[in-house]
Amino acid sequence: MLKRVFWATSAVILIGAAGFGIYAYKPAIEPVDANSRTAFDPEIVEKGRVLAAAGYCSECHTAEGGPPFAGNYPMDTGFGTIYATNLTPAKETGIGSYSPEAFRRAMKEGVRRDGRHLFPAFPYNHFTKMSDEDVDAIYAYIMTEVPPVELETKENELPFPLDLRFLQAGWKLLFVDFDDYEVDQAHSEEWNRGAYLAEGLAHCGACHTPRNPLGAEIESDQYGGAQINGWTAPALTPRNASAVPWTAADFKSYLTEGVSANHGISAGPMGPVVHIGIRELPESDIDALSLYLGEKSGTNNGDPVDTSAVVRSLERGRPDPQYRKDQGERLYATACASCHYNTEQIAAGRPDLGINSATNLETPDNLIHVILDGVSGPEGIEGVVMPGFRDALSPTEITAIAAYLRDARANRPAWPDLAETVTRLSNTAAPAE
Amino acid sequence: MIEFEINGKPVSVDADPDTPLLWAIRDEIGLTGTKFGCGIGMCGACTVHVGGRATRSCITPVSAVEGTSITTIEGLSAQDNHPVQEAWRNLRVPQCGYCQSGQIMQAAALLQDIPAPTDEDIDAVMTGNLCRCMTYPRIRNAVRQAAAAMTQGNSDNG
Amino acid sequence: MANLFSRLRQSPDAAGENIPSELDLTRRGFLISASAAGAAFGFPLAGNAAMDPEAADGVPATSDGATFEPTIWYWIDSEGLVNVNIIRAEMGQHVGTAIARILADELEVAWDNVRITHVDSAEKWGTMVTGGSWSVWQSWPVYRKAGAAGRVALIEAAAEKWGVDPATCQARDGTVSDGSNTATYASLVAEGLQRSFTEDELNALPLKPHAELRLVGKDVKALDIDTKTNGQAIYGLDASVDGMVYGVPLIPPTRLGSSVNSVDDSAAKDVKGYLQTLTLNDPSGTVPGWVVVLGDTLMAAKRASEHVSVDWQAGEHAGVSEEDINARSRELIADKNYGAILPSDNPDSAPAFEAAADVLEAEYVTQTVLHMQLEPANATVFQNEDGIWEIHTGNQWQSLILPTLSAALEAPADQIVMRTYMLGGGFGRRLNGDYAVPAALASKALGGKPVKLVFMREDDAKFDSPRSPSVQQLRMAFDDAKAVTGMDHNAAAGWPTQVMVPSFMPKGVNDEPYDPFAIDGADHWYDVGALRVRAISNDLANATFRPGWLRSVGPGWTNFAVESFMDEAAHRVGEDPLTFRLNHLTAKGQNAGSAPNAVGGAKRQANVLRRVAEMSNYGSADLPADTAIGLATTFGQSRTMPTWVGGAVQLHVNRETGYIDVQKMWLSFDCGTVVDPDSALAQCEGAALWGLSMALYEGTRFEDGNVVDRNLGTYTPLRMIDTPDMEIEFVDSSEVPVGLGEPGTTVIAPAIANAIYNAVGARLRSLPITPDAVVAALKD
Repeated sequence: MLKRVFWATSAVILIGAAGFGIYAYKPAIEPVDANSRTAFDPEIVEKGRVLAAAGYCSECHTAEGGPPFAGNYPMDTGFGTIYATNLTPAKETGIGSYSPEAFRRAMKEGVRRDGRHLFPAFPYNHFTKMSDEDVDAIYAYIMTEVPPVELETKENELPFPLDLRFLQAGWKLLFVDFDDYEVDQAHSEEWNRGAYLAEGLAHCGACHTPRNPLGAEIESDQYGGAQINGWTAPALTPRNASAVPWTAADFKSYLTEGVSANHGISAGPMGPVVHIGIRELPESDIDALSLYLGEKSGTNNGDPVDTSAVVRSLERGRPDPQYRKDQGERLYATACASCHYNTEQIAAGRPDLGINSATNLETPDNLIHVILDGVSGPEGIEGVVMPGFRDALSPTEITAIAAYLRDARANRPAWPDLAETVTRLSNTAAPAE
Repeated sequence: MIEFEINGKPVSVDADPDTPLLWAIRDEIGLTGTKFGCGIGMCGACTVHVGGRATRSCITPVSAVEGTSITTIEGLSAQDNHPVQEAWRNLRVPQCGYCQSGQIMQAAALLQDIPAPTDEDIDAVMTGNLCRCMTYPRIRNAVRQAAAAMTQGNSDNG
Repeated sequence: MANLFSRLRQSPDAAGENIPSELDLTRRGFLISASAAGAAFGFPLAGNAAMDPEAADGVPATSDGATFEPTIWYWIDSEGLVNVNIIRAEMGQHVGTAIARILADELEVAWDNVRITHVDSAEKWGTMVTGGSWSVWQSWPVYRKAGAAGRVALIEAAAEKWGVDPATCQARDGTVSDGSNTATYASLVAEGLQRSFTEDELNALPLKPHAELRLVGKDVKALDIDTKTNGQAIYGLDASVDGMVYGVPLIPPTRLGSSVNSVDDSAAKDVKGYLQTLTLNDPSGTVPGWVVVLGDTLMAAKRASEHVSVDWQAGEHAGVSEEDINARSRELIADKNYGAILPSDNPDSAPAFEAAADVLEAEYVTQTVLHMQLEPANATVFQNEDGIWEIHTGNQWQSLILPTLSAALEAPADQIVMRTYMLGGGFGRRLNGDYAVPAALASKALGGKPVKLVFMREDDAKFDSPRSPSVQQLRMAFDDAKAVTGMDHNAAAGWPTQVMVPSFMPKGVNDEPYDPFAIDGADHWYDVGALRVRAISNDLANATFRPGWLRSVGPGWTNFAVESFMDEAAHRVGEDPLTFRLNHLTAKGQNAGSAPNAVGGAKRQANVLRRVAEMSNYGSADLPADTAIGLATTFGQSRTMPTWVGGAVQLHVNRETGYIDVQKMWLSFDCGTVVDPDSALAQCEGAALWGLSMALYEGTRFEDGNVVDRNLGTYTPLRMIDTPDMEIEFVDSSEVPVGLGEPGTTVIAPAIANAIYNAVGARLRSLPITPDAVVAALKD
């Protein structure tokens, strides 16, 4: 899922114009007649469906309330808005005339059938790691199952010269490694399967790896954590701020159920990643992904989970008769504890906020987002809802609750810009459901 | 149209997505056992179960419950004989009764997660539900009584 | 209005008999009807205007076949069903259960056959009010006689049928027998029964001796509880009328004197479901400057209301603060000529102070308190097919608001009927039915179309009739033997009764009227020599907001002062506060008490005080550091109907944070006969916890002409975690039952203040007692 966009504003300066012109040129690939396309093996179509889901294609290629895959999802880049393209097999406005080769080139090289470069909002830098077989399966699925919808993709609202697509070639030259996934012999086959999925199809790094000033992922800091759409995508490395380290089992629970009892739930941009995405994969793939992510987090060494942090948190969560002494504690006791309090262990569905990732991260964004707008039924633990306090509590009150959780429950240093963050996010409209 | 299930029956509600679930339940669906107290999630009178978990419906937009399964006081048990309801009647907990739908729904959810709650557990979980008649001593006893009845019931079944 | 209260003014006792007594009820009603088939409603089309809380749909029981209706208070049908008419509102007291049992006991019927009907507001029911802890006390003689009338009539009918002497017959469980014959009430009613009594005959009816009471004082099933556990109880907010639209008020900046300059709803027009915005024209003057936004759903109205902008001309008190109000109280107290002097054995205390060897003085302050009843104010109003205006709402004083509604609707009172729903909390808020007025005006503006007006919580707080802030200055004179020779009690606050029902105010010994509800409690039962109680109406408070009756009203602040002051006085003369109190509860003169309501006087107060001292081990308990027990005793609600209350609170003071850990509360009540033991206990539990809540946790303040705390984010009543252990006992008694809804609230705050003093030596004279105040007092 890639909703943030990055721009190679100055790439062009770094490249010799003439050589660049040659490099940047990509020929058009002949259109194919949709009617001449032969039927695909249903097994491949099904595989493609799963992969398309696990790559959450439709998340970025479907406008709110619009037909699935038909594009026009707006991505606000900060420089202007670009609109996701129509991925339905519609002949004129979709990809109905793409041959398998054209689709493969788009996915793995970021080049349209007509030869024009795609913007890197589309994470071809990850998809390039995918096998041709997997890419072809997605092609088979789209051409077979996705209903064609003729819907013109809106003109991107980008200022000159950012709208010049050929400049994107320079960015690619600088930042994209177009090699296929390379098996790491030091690790197991399962680990490699997980890595293949994470680095390719699931494009985890697109959100979780910080980017350089030109918007490219910093390879040396893979999964180091980053900001996306006003949320924090936490580090998936030993730097992860969780009170309790992530294990493969935690990742598995999180990626299938949308919740890890010791960390929290999938909300915000991560919500659909789990709920309409990753969990479509076969269990063996989720196991592999979990193993890989667990090891990346540096804690997947088979040691038993350190429960002392949980015990400490539960201890700090005991009701305090003096709860009125602090505004945040008082509000927490009256508005939050009925759902978040735990007794001797953390019950499924009662997220403990002392060890919750949102409370332990370096930034308060995720916590504030959830307090403001809650968690809807399809997010987090499916079918369970957290109400939103946007219209119920003042920014001062939300700040007080967050400060209490950070200090008294997570026992971490205060967030320096908490009040400002609450005010800023309170002034941003709630996301449409 | 926002579709979900309430007390086992599918419903679709034609309301503004921002409409608090409470008012969809009361005014659109017509189940008035769930009450409005503060509108800011601080009194618990509006508590229903969404996906089996106690939820303050006054600050939950109806759009958030799309596809979920909701239980209100009217649907807590078929014969109004949930052990929590029984305990509430045995100990004559309600005075004015206005908060009690919410108290009962919260208590039922509490006992699901914490079947044998200590006084501390009851304090922590039930403090979010205001009772202006101050029936707290009886609520506490009724939660204990219901817990005992449910534990008994479970071991009988087991 | 005059009519309405003329009856109340007929009260016989000039010395403070200021509340409606049983006379109101006995004067009407005993018109004996024979086999009346009519329902208990005053209006033909308003058949739904009464309510049975036990029924899922609220619809009262109807009679089967022939009916015997010995008085308007009940009927018995040919199936033996007994339906008791209740004029009191149900707001948590299980009041119908208590009252119906009084009747059923005398009537000798089985409880299983009893139903209750909370009736409409037809004139025949007389004054309808539920407050002052009066309900059981006032109903006791009336419903007993009503029950006895039925029992006697049925026994005599059976005796006549069998040709035996009625004296040989007895009734039990709805059956008459004489040893050889038996006849059920049902069969006697089915055979047709006619019987009438004169008022003298009614007064001469034999009532059962206390020892033969079978339902009174026993545990019976409450008739309103089941539906409060399954969502079926019907409150005002649940009212539903075909075709109704919803309204949300836009409340002007001041409670009084605001007017609307202009309204702009252009931004609301895009809101789906928005209908229109009304600027109310209120001939009754209740809601000046009000605007109501209408929608086809409540949320549409609310959302639209957020887009309607109103330009108001605020009333002149838009800048008033709590400090201003209290400053005015002090100013008025300083003016010796202002206020009403209450009657006492010797109200001239000046000589005692002139001759005093020592004088103790103290000032006590209490902050504004909100009702925050959990069901926000609401009302549904429409004009029915017969042209009758129907007011559907929860209300505690129908008779008070109906004349106002009549003025607002410009319709005669007999064209208005109120259906009283279950109340989602009363606590005195719904004694003032003002919230029904804007609903009525909105419906009137729409030609009688049904309008359901709902106050959001913040609006409810803004429009509350809160407990007024109060300032009290007390002093006590001692002679050189340290004996108490005189006492002054000056109490200034907003006066609800002056604002709402001035005709209800008795006159003091200086011929000045006073609000009894704002001063009850100051006229205590201690013998202190001369006692000069001066009640002062704070005109600035009355002009800034509507002072309200809030669970115990004045006794909530007067007793805090009196009972704190008694402790201070005890310490001044070096006596233990318990001993000091008992030494002054000597039951002499006016404190000897009088029949029927205050038999025993101060002796009974001394008794409950002793009881809680024993229960709590006061004086002998071995307690840790900074931990102590404090005592207090009060009498609620007034000298005319004292429920004697003793209270003890054990607490620990955290010297560092000022946190008060209330560990246990003991209360002893002597309310005469306990009619409904479990409900009595429930009322006392709730009242004591209200007392605790107002002592430590509740209080707001005026700022810019209105209260600053309007929802539970900042207004913070007691919750589960704050609830201490309690031990409550009732003194065994066969005296007249008095009230229990309020008295328990009044002992707690002074007991806490006294316990804090006993624990750490700091004297807190301001409510609520906050941790900051405790820390500050410890520094002094």
